[in-house]
Amino acid sequence: MAAEEEKSPNNPQNPPRRSPRARMKESILSPGFRSAAAMAGWDEEALLFASLVVEDTPVRESRHRKRRSPQFKTPPTTNSNRKRRSRRQSPNPIPPVVLCLDDDEEKTVEKKDPGAKRKDSEIVVAAEEKKTEGEGASVEKASSKGLPCMDRLREELSCAICLDICFEPSTTPCGHSFCMKCLKCAAAKCGKRCPKCRQLISNGRSCTVNTVLWNTIQLLFPEEVEARKNSSAATSRSSNVQSPERSSNNVRNSHANSNTRSSHTRSATQVSQGMDRERIIRRRAIPSQSEDAALALRLQREEFMVAFHDNREQQRSTLHSAQANLRAMASRAVHFRTRGRST
Amino acid sequence: MSSSTGLPSSGVGGGGGNGDGGWVQPFPSKTSVQTLGKRIQKEMLELNADPPAGCSAGPKGDNLFHWVSTMIGPQGSPYEGGIFFLDIVFPQNYPFRPPQVTFKTRIFHCNVDSTGNLNLDILKDGWSPALTISNVLLTIKAIITNPDPYKPLVSSIACLYLTDRAKHDEIAAEWTMRFAR
Repeated sequence: MAAEEEKSPNNPQNPPRRSPRARMKESILSPGFRSAAAMAGWDEEALLFASLVVEDTPVRESRHRKRRSPQFKTPPTTNSNRKRRSRRQSPNPIPPVVLCLDDDEEKTVEKKDPGAKRKDSEIVVAAEEKKTEGEGASVEKASSKGLPCMDRLREELSCAICLDICFEPSTTPCGHSFCMKCLKCAAAKCGKRCPKCRQLISNGRSCTVNTVLWNTIQLLFPEEVEARKNSSAATSRSSNVQSPERSSNNVRNSHANSNTRSSHTRSATQVSQGMDRERIIRRRAIPSQSEDAALALRLQREEFMVAFHDNREQQRSTLHSAQANLRAMASRAVHFRTRGRST
Repeated sequence: MSSSTGLPSSGVGGGGGNGDGGWVQPFPSKTSVQTLGKRIQKEMLELNADPPAGCSAGPKGDNLFHWVSTMIGPQGSPYEGGIFFLDIVFPQNYPFRPPQVTFKTRIFHCNVDSTGNLNLDILKDGWSPALTISNVLLTIKAIITNPDPYKPLVSSIACLYLTDRAKHDEIAAEWTMRFAR
C-alpha cells in the first residue's frame, strides 16, 4: 500500500522539479525513495532520463497536475504569501533553474507545516501539487463564491456620495469611508461633518487615503477602478478643452482659481488671457494692421511656450484644440478688421 | 457645449460649482454633469428596483434633473386615499446641495404652504450628501403622517392641529377628497 503511494509520485511525468536537484545532489534521493523507485522498477538513471524528457513538455505536466489535484486536500488559504507567489508563477511555465531555487524556499515553508510528513523529494512534489491545487481552488472561489456576495460587497464598498465604488477612499474619524474627492467636496460645501452621521470631522485625517481599503477595492473591482481612472482622466482632458472658450467670459474667476488648478489648466488660462487681451484691444480702439500682426505673433509665441512647456500627450491634444481655436479667432479678427477697413 | 443642455433652466447660474473641487466654477463643467448624472441615474435605478412603500419617482420627460414623484396618502392619516404629486428639481451641484421638492397637489398640512413648499429640515440645513431621494421621500411620508406643528409653515393649520385635532383631520380629509383624487 505504501509502495503504491510512493510509486505514484515518481511517475515519469512528475519529477521535473526534482530532477535538477537530483542531478546536483544525488544524496537528496532518500534511501526510502530509492527503494520505492526500485520496487517500481525504476533505476535512478531511467528516472533522471525520464524527468529530462519531461522537462521540455510542460503541457503534459500541467495536464497531469490537473488530473491529480483532487486527491490532495486543500491547503490553508490564509497563507497569503504562498498564494501570491503561486499566482505570480502561474501564467507561464517556468524554466527549471528558477524552480530549483524556488523549491528550496518551498521546502522550508512546507517543512513547517505539521501536516506534511513526507520524504524530502516527495515534499517538493507535494508542494507543487498543493500549490496548483490551491491556485485552482482560489480561482474557483473567486468565480463561484464571488458571485452571490459581490453585490453586497459592492454596496458595502461604495461611496454614499457618488454611489459608486469608493475611489481612493478616505475614512472619517467616525469610521465612515467615502471617495477622497467626494469627502473633500462635501466638507467644502456642506460643512465639516460626516455625511453619514454628522459627526465633526477634523481636516487633516480626512484627507488621507485608507490604503488597506483602497487596495482591497482595487483587488475586488479592478474593472470599475480602471474605468473610473480612465473617465477621470478623460474628463480632466475635456474640461481642459472647454475652459479656454468659456472662461474668456469670466477670466477674473478663472484667474482666482488658477492656483488651485493643475499646471496644464493654468496654461489654458494663460491662453485665455491672451484671448482676453485680444478682446480688450478690439474693444478699445481700432488697431492698426501692425498691431494685429504683433498680436498674432504674441499669441503664437504663447502657444509655442505652452506647447513646449508640457510635453505630455494628453495635454497636447487639448493644447492642439486650444491652438486651433485661437488661430481661428485671430484670423477672424484680422479678417474682420481688414474687411472693415476696405469698405 | 453640449454639457449644458441637460441642466435645469433654473440653473444655479454662474455660481454653480462642480463636483470635484472646493472652489466655485464659473461654468458647469463636464465633470460635474457626468458625476451628477451618474449619481442621479444610480438613484433612479435603485428607486425603481426598491421603491419605498406608496412612493414612486422618476424623471419628467427626458430631463434627468427634473423628477416627478407620486405619493399615496399614508393609511391611517386623514390623507388616506389621496395621490399627491411632488416635483423634484436637482440643483447642479446635487449631492452637495439638497434637491428642491415641492408639492404639486394641494394639501392641508401645517408643514406645506399653499404654493407647495415644504418645511423639511433635511431639505435645507440638515441636508447631507449621503441622503438619497428615497430617504427624502420616506421622510416626507413620515411628516405627512405626523405633522410637526412646532415648525409650521402655515401657522393657522398648526394651531388647529394642536387645539382641535378632529377638526384638522376633517378638513384635511376634505381637501384630500377635493384635490388629491
